[in-house]
Amino acid sequence: MNNASMLSTYSYHLENQNHHLLFASIFWQTLACSILTALLSEFSSSSKTSNIGLSMEFHGNCKRIFQEGDLRQIFMLTVEVLQEFSRRENLNAQMSSVFQRYLALANQVLSWNFLPPNLGRHYIAMFESSQNVMLKPTELWRETLLDIRVMELFFTVHRKIREDTDMAQDSLQCLAQLASLHGPVFPDEGSQVDYLAHFIEGLLNTVNGIEIEDSEAMGISSVFSNLITVFPRNVLTAIPNELFSSFVNCLTHLTCSFGRSAALEEVLDKDDMVYMEAYDKLLESWLTLVQDDKHFHKGFFTQHAVQVFNSYIQCHLAAPDGTRNLTANGVASREEEEISELQEDDRDQFSDQLASVGMLGRIAAEHCIPLLTSLLEDRVTRLHGQLQRHQQQLLASPGSGSIDNKVLDDLYEDIHWLILVTGYLLANDTQGETPLIPPEVMEYSIKHSTEVDINTTLQILGSPGEKASSIPGYNRTDSVIRLLSAILRVSEVESRAIRADLTHLLSPQMGKDIVWFLKRWAKTYLLVDEKLYDQISLPFNTAFGADTEGSQWIVGYLLEKVISNLAVWSSEQDLANDTVQLLVTLVERRERANLVIQCENWWNLAKQFARRSPPLHFLSSSVQRTLMKALVLGGFAHMDTDTKQQYWTEVLQPLQQRFLNVINQENFQQICQEEEVKQEITATLEALCGIAEATQIDNVAILFNFLMDFLTNCIGLMEVYKNTPETVNLIIEVFVEVAHKQICYLGESKAMNLYEACLTLLQVYSKNNLGRQRIDVTAEEDQYQDLLLIMELLTNLLSKEFIDFSDTDEVFRGHEPGQAANRSVSAADVVLYGVNLVLPLMSQDLLKFPSLCNQYYKLITFICEIFPEKIPQLPEDLFKSLMYSLELGMSSMSSEVCQLCLEALTPLAEQCAKAQETDSSLFLATRHFLKMVFDMLVLQKHNTEMTTAAGEAFYTLVCLHQAEYSELVETLLSSQQDPVIYQRLADAFNKLTASSTPPSLDRKQKMAFLKSLEEFMANVGGLLCVK
Amino acid sequence: MADDLDFETGDAGASATFPMQCSALRKNGFVVLKGRPCKIVEMSTSKTGKHGHAKVHLVGIDIFTGKKYEDICPSTHNMDVPNIKRNGLPGKGRCPRLTKIWGAPVSFAEPLPRGGVCWAWLRGPPLALQLIGIQDGYLSLLQDSGDVREDLRLPEGDLGKEIEQKYDCGEEILITVLSAMTEEAAVAIKAMAK
Repeated sequence: MNNASMLSTYSYHLENQNHHLLFASIFWQTLACSILTALLSEFSSSSKTSNIGLSMEFHGNCKRIFQEGDLRQIFMLTVEVLQEFSRRENLNAQMSSVFQRYLALANQVLSWNFLPPNLGRHYIAMFESSQNVMLKPTELWRETLLDIRVMELFFTVHRKIREDTDMAQDSLQCLAQLASLHGPVFPDEGSQVDYLAHFIEGLLNTVNGIEIEDSEAMGISSVFSNLITVFPRNVLTAIPNELFSSFVNCLTHLTCSFGRSAALEEVLDKDDMVYMEAYDKLLESWLTLVQDDKHFHKGFFTQHAVQVFNSYIQCHLAAPDGTRNLTANGVASREEEEISELQEDDRDQFSDQLASVGMLGRIAAEHCIPLLTSLLEDRVTRLHGQLQRHQQQLLASPGSGSIDNKVLDDLYEDIHWLILVTGYLLANDTQGETPLIPPEVMEYSIKHSTEVDINTTLQILGSPGEKASSIPGYNRTDSVIRLLSAILRVSEVESRAIRADLTHLLSPQMGKDIVWFLKRWAKTYLLVDEKLYDQISLPFNTAFGADTEGSQWIVGYLLEKVISNLAVWSSEQDLANDTVQLLVTLVERRERANLVIQCENWWNLAKQFARRSPPLHFLSSSVQRTLMKALVLGGFAHMDTDTKQQYWTEVLQPLQQRFLNVINQENFQQICQEEEVKQEITATLEALCGIAEATQIDNVAILFNFLMDFLTNCIGLMEVYKNTPETVNLIIEVFVEVAHKQICYLGESKAMNLYEACLTLLQVYSKNNLGRQRIDVTAEEDQYQDLLLIMELLTNLLSKEFIDFSDTDEVFRGHEPGQAANRSVSAADVVLYGVNLVLPLMSQDLLKFPSLCNQYYKLITFICEIFPEKIPQLPEDLFKSLMYSLELGMSSMSSEVCQLCLEALTPLAEQCAKAQETDSSLFLATRHFLKMVFDMLVLQKHNTEMTTAAGEAFYTLVCLHQAEYSELVETLLSSQQDPVIYQRLADAFNKLTASSTPPSLDRKQKMAFLKSLEEFMANVGGLLCVK
Repeated sequence: MADDLDFETGDAGASATFPMQCSALRKNGFVVLKGRPCKIVEMSTSKTGKHGHAKVHLVGIDIFTGKKYEDICPSTHNMDVPNIKRNGLPGKGRCPRLTKIWGAPVSFAEPLPRGGVCWAWLRGPPLALQLIGIQDGYLSLLQDSGDVREDLRLPEGDLGKEIEQKYDCGEEILITVLSAMTEEAAVAIKAMAK
C-alpha cells in the first residue's frame, strides 16, 4: 500500500477510534493496538519498514508528517488507555494482556527516532538501527510530554505492574526514555529544571523503600544513567538541594545494593547477570557525575564515594571482612573450576568497574588509601604466617599428601582484588601519553606532608621484609608511600616463599598482579618529573624523585624481582609476559635506564640471556623477544664509551657469533632440521625481531647496521627452510619488523640497502612458491600467515612515502662514508615485484579472511596512491585483477575497504589525465568506475563518512570523462516521470557543476565541487535512494 | 660458549630423546606422549582455580602410526622430545595430506605412490633409500654414503606386499625410512626417477 493513502485512511480511523476504544471489547482493543503497532513500525523508517520501492525522501516526509500529528495522537490515546487501566483493580488475564500491549506501544512511541525538521543529510540515519535512541522530540510535543501527569502515569503504572517481569521491562523502558528527554521540547532551562525535579520525585517515590525485583535492576539503572547523562550539570544542581541529596543517596544505595547482588550472581554462576550489568551502568554514571568539580563543591561526593568504595571492597573480600563467595544465607561456596587460557584476566574483564571504583577511591582518598593499606598489611602478615605453617608441616612430614589450600586461596583472592583496586586508584591507564600522578593523590600526599616523618617513610619503603607496624613511628608516614610499600611487602613474601622452595604453594595470579601493579606504578611515579606538576609532594620527591637513593634502591629491587620471576615463572606465560613488560617500563625512559644499568644484576641478566642457557631459554618466544627488546633499550642508557662497548660485546655480539657458528657449519644443510639447530635458529630470529622493536631515533644507526648483516643471511635461511612454514614466516617477520620500525628513519642509501634485501627475499619466496597451490577450502587463516606478512612488508616499505623522518642519512653521519646513490633499486621496484607475487595468490576466497582482506586493500590503495604511473605498465592479467579487486572492494566489502578503494581511484584518474591516452586500459577502466561512483552517490544509500573520498574520486573521474558524465546525467533525468522531481534533479545537477565548469584538476575547483556535492546530497540525496 | 653449542658430534652421539620444559614446547614441534614419538598438533593451557598453576594440554599424532595421543601435565614439568631422522635422498612427489598437516600444501615434481602417508608427518620433502634386495624378511637398502644396510625389516601388511611385488617385478624403487627413538620403519615406497 502506498504510504500516503495508508496515512489518510488510517487518520480517519483514528478519529473514530478515539471515542470508542476505551469502551470497546477486548477483542477490538487488541486488534486496534496491533494495527497501531504495525503502523508505527511502517512509519518509523527503521529496518522494520517494508521495502515498498519509494525514495528515502518520501519515506522521510511521511515520517515527519506522521510524527508531528498521528504519532502524538496515538501517544495520547495510549496514555488514556493506560490511565484507564491503572485505575482498575483486579485485572483479569485478558485485560492485562491488552494492558501490556498498550504499554509496549507507549514504549515504541517514546523510543521513536525523531527526525529533525530539516532532513538534510539525515536521511541516511533514518534507516540506521533504532537501538538506544534518546527521546528528542520536536517542539510540537511540548504540551504532551511536559505534562506532569504523563510522567506520573508511567510511575503509577510501573508501581502497579512491577512484579510482572515482562511488563515491568516495558514500563521501565518508558521511564528511561522519559529520563532522556531533551532538545527543543524544553522552551527554557526553567522548564527543564521543573521536569527533572518532578521526575526525580516520582523516581524516588517509586524506588525508595521497595525491595527491587531482579527484572527491575537493569531498567532502574538505565533511568538513573539517562538522567545523569542527558541533563546538564547546571540543571541537576538547580533542583532543590534536598531533592538532589536524596537522589544521590538513592543512587548510592542502589549502587551498593546492585553490587552485592552482582556478587551473589557470580557465586551462583548465573547465565543472565542482570545485576552485574546494572551495577556496571551505575558505576559508569558515577564516573560521569564525579568528574566535574565545577558544579559541585569539593568533597560533595566524598561520603557517597566512601560507601560505594567500601561496598565494592567488601564484596571482593572473603569473610569475615567481606562477603565474597557467600550465598544469600551466608554459606560459603567454593568451587575449583577449570579456567582456560582464553578467560580474560579480571583486570581487563572488570576494567570499567575498577576505573570507576579507583576514581571514587581518589575522591575519598582520606578514607580509601589508609583502608587499602591496612587491609593489605593484614593480608601480608596472614599470608606470611600461613606459608610458614605450610613449610613447617612439610618439614615435619614430607610428602604427607595434599594440604588444604582454602586459607591460602582466600588470601590470594583478597590480595588479588586489593592490588587491582590499588592499581586503578593510584594510577591511570595510559596509552601514548605521559602518565601523570592523579591530582587527588598528589593533593592528599601534600596535604599531610607536614605531619609526615620522611625518614620513617623511607624506612617503611626500604624494608619490605619487615612488618610495617614493627617500625617505630610507623603511623607518621606518607600514606601513599605506605600503600606502595604494602604491595612491596606482598612481593617480598612471594620472593621469600620462592627462596624457601614453596613456589608450588604460590599463586601465579598474585605474581601477575604484583608485577602488573609495579609496572603501572613505575610508569607514573618512578623518577617523577617535577616539571609536569604545579606542586609536588615532598615525600614523593624524596622517595622516588630523580637523583635519590630511594629511586636507586627501588630500581634495584624491581630488577631483582624481574630476574627472579623470569627464572621461577618461565612456565607461567602470562606472568612472564607481565614481568618482562615491567622490565621494558624500567628501561624505555632514558632516566630510568640510567639507574638500571648501574645494577650488577642487569649485566648478569644480559650475559645469561646471551648464553641462551636455562632458565631464560625456557621462556616462550614472545617473552624472549620482549626481553631482547628491553636489553637493547637498556644499552642506550648513559654509559662511558668503554662500558658501552663492553655492553654491546655482551649483548649483541654473542647473538651474531652463535648464529654464524651454526649456519657456517659444513653440514648445516643436513642438520638444519634437527631440533637443537632449529631452536637455535628460531631463537635468533625472535631476538632479531626484538632488536628491531627496540628501535628509536637515536639508536637506529647502530641497530640498522647490525640487523642488515643478518638480513642477508636470513635470505639464505629461506632457502634452507623452504619447507618449514613456521621458520619461513619468522624470517619474513624479521623483515617486516625492520621495515616497520626503521624505514622511516633511513636515508636514501640505507633505504636502498633495505629495498635490495627485501627484493632478494621476495625473489626467493617467489621461487619457492612457484606452482604452490592454495586451494584447501578448510584452510584456516593462520595458514596464510606468509602471505599476510609479505603484504605487511610491502605496506611497511611504502609507508616511507608518508612518514619519513630521515634527513639524508643524518643519523648515520660519521658511521659510514657517503655512498653513491646511483643504484637502481627503488621502493617501487620492490613493491611492484611483490605485488606481482601477491596478486596471483590472492583469490576471492582469501578475501573472506578479514585480516588478509584489509591488508590487501591497504596495500593496493597505497600502491595506487604512490605509484599511479606504474599501474598502466602492469602485465595485462595483473592489471585486470587489480581493477577487479577495486570493483569488488567498492561493491561488496566493508565500508572501510570501500573507502580505501575510493581513495585509490583519485590518483588513478589523475594519472590518466596526465598521460592523455584515451585508449589505454586504465582509461577504459576509469570510465567504468565513473558509473560505479555515480550510482553509489546518487542511487544507493551510502555511509556519510565516505562522501569526501567518494566526492574526490567522483570529481576527478568527471574531469576525465566529461562526456560520459553528461550522458549519465541525461539518462538518469530522462528516466524520471515526475516533472517536479525531474526539475529538482536537473537543477541540482546544474548547481553541482556550476562552480567548476569546465571541470579541471585544480584544487580550488575541486574544493568548490566537494562543497556543492554536499549540498547536492542534502538536497536530492534522498530522492533517488529507494527502500 | 663452545661447550653449550657443540654441533660437531652430529647424530652419532645424539640420544633418542632430550628433555624440554613443557612450557617451551611449540605447536608443530615433536614430543613423546605415552611413550610414542608424536608431532604436536594442539597445545593449550589451563589452570584449576584462579590461583592454580598452569597445566599444558597436548594433543599429538604418532609419527609412525598416525594415532592420536593426548596428555595433560604441569607446565613446569619436563617432557621428552624425540630426535627424529629420515634416511636417504630427497624424493619427488606430492601428498595431498601434506596440505592438512603442514598448513600449506607442498607439491613436488611427480605424484607419490599410495602408501605415502607417514613420512608426511615430517617436515619437508620425503627422503628415500634405494631398495637393492630383500632377504629373509629384511630389506637391503643403499645408503647415501654408498654403504648397504640390511637391518630393516620388510614392513607387514599391504606396504610390505607391495614392496615385495614390485621388487620381484624388477621395478627400481625407493623406500622412505623414518627413525625416532628406538624405532625405525620403512614407511613409504616410490618409483625411482629414471
